[in-house]
Amino acid sequence: MIDLRPRTIEEAQALLAEGGRRLAFVGGGTAMARPQNVEAILYTGGLNRIVEYAATDQVVVAEAGVTLRALQEELGKHGQRLALEAPAADRATLGGMVAANSFGPLRTRYGSVRDLIIGVSILRADGARAKGGGKVVKTVAGFDLPKLMCGSRGTLGMMATVTFRVHPVPEESVTVAARGLPAAGVFELVRKLRTLQLEPAAALAVRKPGGWEVALRFEGFQAGVVQQRQKLPELEDAPATLWDEHLAHRGPVRFGALLTRLPQIDAAFPAEVPLSWYPTLGLGFAGGAANARAALAALGGWLVAEGDWGPPPASLPLHQAMKARLDPDRLLAPGSFAGGI
Amino acid sequence: MSEAVHELKPGGTQAHDVSAGAAPPSPQVLARFCAAVGEKNCIREKEQLRTYESDGLASFRATPGVVLLPATTEEVVACVRIAREAGLPIVARGSGTGLSGGALPIPGCALIGLSRMRKILEVDYDNAFMRVQPGVINLDVSKLISGQGWYYAPDPSSQSVCSIGGNVAENSGGAHCLKYGFTVNHVLGVRLVLGDGSVQDLGGPVLDQPGYDLTGVVVGSEGMLGIVTEVTLRILRKPEAVKTFFATFPSTTEAGNAVSAIIASGIVPAAIEMMDTLAIVAAKAATGLDWPEVGAALLMDVDGPSAECEHTSAVAVDLSRKAGALEIRVPRDAAERDLMWKGRKSAFAAVGRISRNYLVQDGVIPRSAIAQVLSEIAALSAKAGLRVANVFHAGDGNLHPLVLYDARVPGEEKRAEEVSGDILRICLRFGGSITGEHGVGAEKAPYMAEMFTGTDLETMGFMRCAFDPLAQFNPGKVFPTPRLCGDKPGKYTPHPTELSGEAQRV
Repeated sequence: MIDLRPRTIEEAQALLAEGGRRLAFVGGGTAMARPQNVEAILYTGGLNRIVEYAATDQVVVAEAGVTLRALQEELGKHGQRLALEAPAADRATLGGMVAANSFGPLRTRYGSVRDLIIGVSILRADGARAKGGGKVVKTVAGFDLPKLMCGSRGTLGMMATVTFRVHPVPEESVTVAARGLPAAGVFELVRKLRTLQLEPAAALAVRKPGGWEVALRFEGFQAGVVQQRQKLPELEDAPATLWDEHLAHRGPVRFGALLTRLPQIDAAFPAEVPLSWYPTLGLGFAGGAANARAALAALGGWLVAEGDWGPPPASLPLHQAMKARLDPDRLLAPGSFAGGI
Repeated sequence: MSEAVHELKPGGTQAHDVSAGAAPPSPQVLARFCAAVGEKNCIREKEQLRTYESDGLASFRATPGVVLLPATTEEVVACVRIAREAGLPIVARGSGTGLSGGALPIPGCALIGLSRMRKILEVDYDNAFMRVQPGVINLDVSKLISGQGWYYAPDPSSQSVCSIGGNVAENSGGAHCLKYGFTVNHVLGVRLVLGDGSVQDLGGPVLDQPGYDLTGVVVGSEGMLGIVTEVTLRILRKPEAVKTFFATFPSTTEAGNAVSAIIASGIVPAAIEMMDTLAIVAAKAATGLDWPEVGAALLMDVDGPSAECEHTSAVAVDLSRKAGALEIRVPRDAAERDLMWKGRKSAFAAVGRISRNYLVQDGVIPRSAIAQVLSEIAALSAKAGLRVANVFHAGDGNLHPLVLYDARVPGEEKRAEEVSGDILRICLRFGGSITGEHGVGAEKAPYMAEMFTGTDLETMGFMRCAFDPLAQFNPGKVFPTPRLCGDKPGKYTPHPTELSGEAQRV
């Protein structure tokens, strides 16, 4: 196994252009297991420059190896942030977050990587550098290469730079929680939020010994936050630290299902397995028990444990064709993605 | 709308109609098509075909070989299979309101119109999605669910006539995408018919299904990957409150400064629209609104929890005053608010009241460059002796300059096209984009080479080839030079058109 540590995009490009070896890209090494059958690992941490930050336009272009924390520190100087979260923000890199489709509870309001990325430049397996999207928040010119890269796990190319839309840091933030809910009560609370037209920035349900605990975070200008808080008098104030604790401990097994399916999911995972659920998104994390997959599948959902993708995606030939077009010699993390891609 | 016509003939010399077109379908092929969709949904008569010879970009025209109006996915599959066997290019069409020629026929092609596929297949409020056929009209989606307090966010100005399928093809935006995003942010999945007649379900109401985000690739692919026959949409609960205000300014400079100040204050407006004098005059002429004929106007929405709206609208009004607003108007009720928005959304058509002909442009710039770019556009306008009206989504820097001209005056149309093209080059020079929401289509394909490198375009070509290796769908659109897929990148036999220099390989 060879370690490759380029310091610039050009160096990375030259390494890829040498060709002929199977390799994997590694950023902070926080989100994805390292593919086994590769001959080299290309570490992107040397690509750690913020290329362009136009605070007034709320757009930032950064190299793929910039860590989430380093980016947030820079944006914070201008009262802005990237509305994306990942465990181990001091190590998680932007390129890795795009490749792994990293997200946290803020996805409730701001969406995922695909909703915040506006441009990308990649290095293809042959070393050629290609870009898609742009540096403005709105562009529909050309095919959407940035979206294709989201969650592609380094199997189509290496992120060289990523361009994100950023948001103002909210003036006020309040965290509240409801405890001891039955699984069905989690969706009832979502329904209540809708009825009251409340707009939490983050929502999270965690299974505890005494039932489900739902945490909500309201963010924005103070008047709106206070008003929304007051409309849920039965919820208690909760420490803001619970969000980071969740990110650090949420577990490696990911799953998805319709929002209303939580009671069945609750039953599918043994009681001792830690379980988290994003109640407005229908996405969850578990501390284990990949054998709940069959139950998830029966609900129309999916479950992915690290390195185990389960049954191939619907339309597998189309996914395979995409891989074959962009990486015809199967050099990039072969066999590590869904459907054996 | 312009009456000048770019006739696209088979093998024509039009620089950006690079697809040579096809020989019209034979009587045998026509008979098969008509058997597949039924006689009355199989349009062959020359006069009837004319209805379909252009979309909203009326200056580009070409005659399809046949127009097919299938009612089901199965009928679409049958049409695609017959077209493939006959070697006919396929062009999909929704309502035909696109402004970049995305649904412009390839001469002799099979044009598949999805307007009969208008069923709402499923509405699931609990899980916040609905499934519709592609011919459903954008506004009808929100109307259907409005009574329950829900809506569908993307709202292109043409929303009362444009179709969801067309929105998917073009990744349509609208005034409210600053806060809520574009079509791609609200499409959860699609059912797609590929060139081989296979039916693929991509994505769906459950998020993040394993595999590539192919739904994200299909949205905005301008009909070049396949035909979408079902769409799963994310629907949203309506916000508690919406506050709208209209502010006038001496010029676009003050209005632009107001926009910058509002955004810098941390407000994310639901929409913030700017119009210059000419656009205001046109909107007045079309709607009877009593807007003053000032240098510029802003129309802004904030939405969300009521207390937040009260706060943000008060701050925005204050910042507008500080930036030099002449007058602030707040609509008294929903009807007045709707009328203000009608004035804005009808602005393109309204320009027809003050000019015999006009070209609609769609470019994007960084928001902070608005004042500079507008002064450059004004200089272009003065130099060419043509008026330019500006209507735009100021929050996201999406400009819609309308170049006014009179096609009866020799040379004016050509100058208008030059001004319109130069505006795009200004956008690019400021780091922007050649299209924010109208798409590349036929019209802007040549400009793609100015925004993207050969490698960028090659890579996009790979994406297309993964779906449509025979380049059957909408050939000649988006890419500045025709592209063939070959069997495998890097290992191929040159196509005859390559050798003759007519086409380049991806």
